[in-house]
This record gives sequence, structure tokens and C-alpha cells, in this order.
Amino acid sequence: MSRLIKPSSEAGNKITQKKQIPAIYFSLGMLALFIIIFYIGNRSFLTRYNLMAIGAAAAILLAVGLGQVFSILTGGIDLSVGGIMSLVSVVLMSTLERFGFFAFVISLAVGLLAGLVNGLINAKLRIPSFITTLGTGGIFVSISYIISAKPLSAPSSSYDLLEFINGDVLGLKNVMIIGAIVFVIFLIFQKYTITGRSILLMGSNEKMCWMSGVNVFKIRTLAFTISGLGAGIAGIMLAGTLFSGYPTLGNTYILSSIATVVVGGTAMTGGAGGVLNTLVGALIMSVLNNGMNVIGIDVYAQQTFLGVLIIAAVAISFDRSKLSVIK
Amino acid sequence: MNKKAVVELKQIKKSFPGVQALKGFDFNIYEHEILGLVGENGAGKTTLVKILNGLFHADGGEYFLRGKKSTIKDPLDAIKEGVGMVFQEGCTLPNLTIAENLFLCHEDVFKKNGFLQTRKMNQAAKELTKEMGLFVSPTTVCNQLTPAQKQMVEISRLLWLSKLYGKENPILILDEPTTVLLEKEVDNLFAILKEVKKQASIILISHRLEEIVENSDRIAIFKDGDFVTEMTQAEAEIEKIEQFMVGRELAEEHYRESEQRIPEEEVFLEVKDLSLNKFFEPISFKIHKGEIVSLVGLIGSGKEELCQCIAGTMKADQGDISILGKPVKIDSPKDSIRYKLGYIPIDRRQQGLAVDMDLVENINMLVFERLKKYGLLNRKKELENATKWAKETLVKAPSMRSKCANLSGGNQQKVVISKWLSADSQFLILDHPTRGIDVGAKDEIYHRIRQLSNEGKSLLIMCDTLEEDIGLSNRMLIMKDGLLVEEVQCPSDAKPAPVDVIASIV
Repeated sequence: MSRLIKPSSEAGNKITQKKQIPAIYFSLGMLALFIIIFYIGNRSFLTRYNLMAIGAAAAILLAVGLGQVFSILTGGIDLSVGGIMSLVSVVLMSTLERFGFFAFVISLAVGLLAGLVNGLINAKLRIPSFITTLGTGGIFVSISYIISAKPLSAPSSSYDLLEFINGDVLGLKNVMIIGAIVFVIFLIFQKYTITGRSILLMGSNEKMCWMSGVNVFKIRTLAFTISGLGAGIAGIMLAGTLFSGYPTLGNTYILSSIATVVVGGTAMTGGAGGVLNTLVGALIMSVLNNGMNVIGIDVYAQQTFLGVLIIAAVAISFDRSKLSVIK
Repeated sequence: MNKKAVVELKQIKKSFPGVQALKGFDFNIYEHEILGLVGENGAGKTTLVKILNGLFHADGGEYFLRGKKSTIKDPLDAIKEGVGMVFQEGCTLPNLTIAENLFLCHEDVFKKNGFLQTRKMNQAAKELTKEMGLFVSPTTVCNQLTPAQKQMVEISRLLWLSKLYGKENPILILDEPTTVLLEKEVDNLFAILKEVKKQASIILISHRLEEIVENSDRIAIFKDGDFVTEMTQAEAEIEKIEQFMVGRELAEEHYRESEQRIPEEEVFLEVKDLSLNKFFEPISFKIHKGEIVSLVGLIGSGKEELCQCIAGTMKADQGDISILGKPVKIDSPKDSIRYKLGYIPIDRRQQGLAVDMDLVENINMLVFERLKKYGLLNRKKELENATKWAKETLVKAPSMRSKCANLSGGNQQKVVISKWLSADSQFLILDHPTRGIDVGAKDEIYHRIRQLSNEGKSLLIMCDTLEEDIGLSNRMLIMKDGLLVEEVQCPSDAKPAPVDVIASIV
């Protein structure tokens, strides 16, 4: 920051300002806290084997969260990510045998297309994203059922192909590497492309963006398309690790993707937060899920703990700098 | 005169960031009077009445109501104390009936055994509205009423409420009540107000001086947050009021007049027969390169909408706009930006900035395309560009990565100006560029305006005060009721006196 030129010093004007701590530091602190607690609870929490399990779960959460974060940055929400994941998993499993590698391309395209539909309904028909994606989410699940009501297993001929999801490289699971690649691409998209910037600007002030000539329609549509892409990638990763696809596969990811985004410190009102926050959010969520098992919290009680922890996490990490505006 | 004061304000003060809206003065409101408040936009009339009804709280001074220190904390308290406001746009809920609106939140009065007695309610509503000359069924839904009828409903409601809370001589505040009315309805309104006066005090805010002079018992004149003087109806003359409203003559060099230039021959923007139904009639004018043209008129004169049509945020029904002699089509802000027009809006926070974002993002957002390297945005280039323009416009900020929400109004405005300058705008519409900005920053913005004009850029401005309009511009276009009524030259050595101009505005 030292190379920033400060016009204030030149003008000799002293401006006092309360130092605001970015939300991401709260999230990181929380992540560290949870790791310490679980480690104290059970020393085997930090074994290599367990860390791999956490990383693999985090990678899938990360992919769907990275999509979700863009719809949330615009001030919207995407409730159809679960449906998209399920649909993609079914499409993948039913095309693997015939199309081989291209099954992945088809599945990705399905995810993108589903997101595009969301975006167009939201932006063109001006229907709130909550309602739009609630509706389309149901439709995507329904299409999955129409394709196959019964769970589909990966054909044994495709086990080699699925190795690129399930294999290891340099001691790391491939899902983690896929997650990392997706993360880097999304990070570049958010930070270094005009569209990525415009999504944040639009989430912060849509009217101003319109008045400044930003194509608000295009940006909104794209944000939801990206959300669909993220869910599509996550669907492929999950189906690949499970060797199966079925219409309820993505159910739990609707809420956990939102939790991932929010726990990372991205504001539900849009405009603040982003890809980096979502990485931390995904790690927190998977550490929590895993840690509660490791220290032996009753399975039935876990949801309660998770609920409390998410609320607490948001209370701590929610971007306070937004508050100065909301008042 | 033997009048009893209902409201006594003592050394009342109120300031907003950058402006002293009320400078501390004594002011009384008496029983059974119609009091007219006049003054230019920003003179403090609205702030004063908002303090009366609890929407604002005074920073200093005391507010006595019926001899006792006021305990009003919000508009609800105010209603209970018999101080009510009838808003310009009307405040009735459109989906409820007259009766429901009248007794909103006070339905308990008509409750028996836990049930609402609708018949009794409607009966009471009928009687109340009849007193106001409103002969419409009380079960009519309010969105079917005319603005005049809605006003009557609101006035009845305020009178009824003051009776309910046992307050003698309620105070009714009417903010620009006649702008939405037809001529006949205006007469009717004042006839009724004269009746209502027998049981209440009425405060009237209006830009139409004729109306004020004709209907007020007493007229109070405000200027720059100060109570200038008052006169009785008998003493009042429109010209005298205008004189007081405008106050001091133009201070020399206040608006950097010596830097004013003579515009170039070449016309930058030409508007031909541009019209927008309900807002302005066909209007034509030209703006030269390097010229500062000020658009003057009251709220509702159509000037705001005219600017919006040029900026592309509204679409004109008819007419042509040409730039440098070539006809252009402006359907959206995107179009106007393509033609290098820029619009600096009155509401910086809502329309000018993404306040949660930092200076760099805000300044660069129009020119992202230019700041790429290898197809991606380049942080170094971004910082350079933003820093250059922030320096140029003298933005004072803790750092270029500070959020704009944390800047003062003046600095926020400079960020908005930087944004448009960075996009190489050749024509800027400045919608109240110095609203809510402190004196120092104001001068810097005046300087900037002069400099832009000297660079050959054209500016269309709308200012907070008439003096500012006269002082800054080469030429003024005066609009009234949707028509361009007069064009006034304002050369730097022969600025017209505000008093001579105001007559064609009001």
C-alpha cells in the first residue's frame, strides 16, 4: 500500500477515519479458531488423511460457492444450484459411456445453459432471482427425474476417465487441484476482467451503473450464467467422486453454498466480498462438517451446531464496512 | 395585534454535513393564521417545517409548543401533539378506502367487543369529509381519487386526530399543496383552508408568490437558512418579497467571473423541438463549445426532465438532438456516453457513486477498456489513471483505495467529476453540483467549471441558487411550467441582477 499516492497529504488535509478491518480477516480468524478447537478435541483431526478429506469436500463446496458468490454479489441469490448439480450429475452418468470425455463438456454446457436461463428470466422478465431460481431449481430436478428416476452408476468402462477426478497428483487429490484451478480462473475473472468488476459495481449501485452506460442486463445475465457454471463444475466433481448421479444429489448444496459464501464474509446485499472470501468460506464449512464428526458430536445434533455456528460466523464476519452505509 | 403563539422557536439551529440549513433565529406561529413561508430552494423552509413535525431535530435552540417545551421525537409524536404535515405527493395509502385512510392506526376508536364497526367508521368518515367539501363515498379506494381529493382526506385526518388527542388549534403544514392541482381546485383548497383556519394554524409553503400573497395572513421570508423578515398580507407585495428572497447583490468574484470566457462559434449541442408529455413542451436551444449554460426554473418547470432526456436517463417523445451538427439518437445513458456527454447527478450517493467501492473503481469505471494489458485489467494502469484524475480535481482522501462512503460530500462530488473527466466528456450536465458541499470545496468546483469551459467543453448546469446560476453561466435559459420562457445573457462584466430575473421564474 505504500506506493499509493495520497493526494490528502499534498493538500495538507488530515482526514481521520476509523480503520475498518476487512471481513475476510474475521473469517480467517474463525477458520483458525475452529481448527484449533477440533485439534484439541481430537489430535487426529490434523492427520494427512483427514486433511485430504477436508480438502476434497472443500473443493466441491468451493466450486458451487464460487458460482453462487457472483449471483449474491449482484444482490441476488441462486437457489437452483442444487437442481443444476443434480441435473448435471444425471446428464454426466447417462452420457459417459457413449461420449467418453465429451460427456464432461456436455455436462458443463448443461450447467452453463441452466445458469443462462436463470439469468435471462431474472434480467429480461425482471423477476426476483429468489423466485426465478426457486422455480427453475424445481424444474432442473424434475428434468433429472425424467432422464432417470433411479440413481445412475458410472459404467465400469469409464472408471479410467473418472480417474482425473479421483486420482492423486503430487500427493494431492485431483478434486482439490480442480478446485484450485477453478478458484484461480474465477479470481482472475473477478479481479481482472471488466465483467467481473462490473458485477461488483452493479451489486453496489445498479442505478449508477445504468446511468454510467453499463449494460446492466448483460452483467446480470452473466452473473447467473457463471453461477450455473460453478454448480455444473461442482456437479461433475461430486458425481465423479461418488461414481453416480441422481436427482437429489445436489439438495444439500443449495443452503451450504449460500452458507459458504456468507460465512466467507460476502454481504448478502451484494457489492462486497468475492472469490477470495468464498475460498475461506468453503474451508470453514468443510472444517466444521468434518470436525464435528471427528470430535464425535452426535450426528443428529450436528445440524443444530452447524446452524448456530453459521449464524455466529455471519455475526462475526459479516462485512462491517457495509454497516456504515446501511446505518 | 393580539395573537397567541402556538409555536415559539428560539434560536433554532440545524446543520447538515457541509451546510448550515438553519442559522439560529426566533420564529413564532400564531393561532388561527395562515402563514406563508417563502424562499428559494435551500433557504431552509422545508428544514424548518420538518423540525416542527419531528422529522428532523434541531441542533440548537428551543422549540416550544403551546407554551411548553416540545417533546416531539418523530412525526407520530407530532400528530399526537396536533402538528401534521400534508405532503406534496400525498401520503394516503392507495389501496385503502377513504375511511380506512382517515382512521389508519387509530381504528381502536371504532372497536367494540374486539371487532371493528365498519359501518360506524364509514359514517364518521362521511361526516368528516363532508366538512371538507368532499362528497365521495367513504368506501372509495384512494387511488381513484384526484390529488385534490386526497389532500382533503389528509387534512380531515389531521384535524380529526388533533381532536382525538384533545389538542386545541392544531398546526397543519402544507408543502407545495397546489403544484398538483387544477386552477379550480386551488381556489377550492384556499376557500376550505380559510374555514379550517378558524380551528387551526396553517403553514403554507409555495413557490407561487401570487398564491401566498393572496391567501396568507402573514408571510415569512427565508434566505440561506435565515429568517429575513415577515410582513402582513396588507404590506405584502410580490416585488418586495422577491427582493428579500434574493437578498444581497452579487458579490464580486464570488463565482470566479474573471475566468469566464466568450464561447466559441461552433455549436456543440443543438436541441430542436424536444418535448416530453406532461413535463415540457417542444423546446429548442443551442449550446456552444466552451459555453456554460444554466437552466433555471422551479421544481416542476421541466428542467430536470429536459436534462434527463439529453443524458439518456429519460426518453423524449419528440424532437431532435444533434452534436457538432450531426443528428444523434439518445435512447439510453450508454448512447449519451458514446457521444461524450456526461451527467453528474444531484444525488451522488444514489446515482453518482458506488459508495462501497474505492476511488479507483469509481473513477475508472467508464474507461476500463483503456486500462487493459494483455486483455486483463492492469492494476498499475488503473491506479495511475485514477490517481491522475483524483489529483487533477483535488480529491482529498486517505488513500486511493478508501471507500467513497467515507469521503465528504465535496470529495465525493470531485470523484464523480473525475470519473467523467477521465472518460473525456466534452459536454457535462451538472445537476446541482454544489448541493451540500462546504464553501472551500464549492470554490474548487467553480474553478473546475471555469477550467472546463476554457478547455472548450460545454456545460449545462442547474444550480442551488439563482446567484450561482447567474454568476457561473454565460447564458441562462429560464423554464416555467414546461416552457422555455426567457433567455438571459450573463456576460462576466454585465451580470443581471437576480431581482430582475426572478419575476420570469416564479
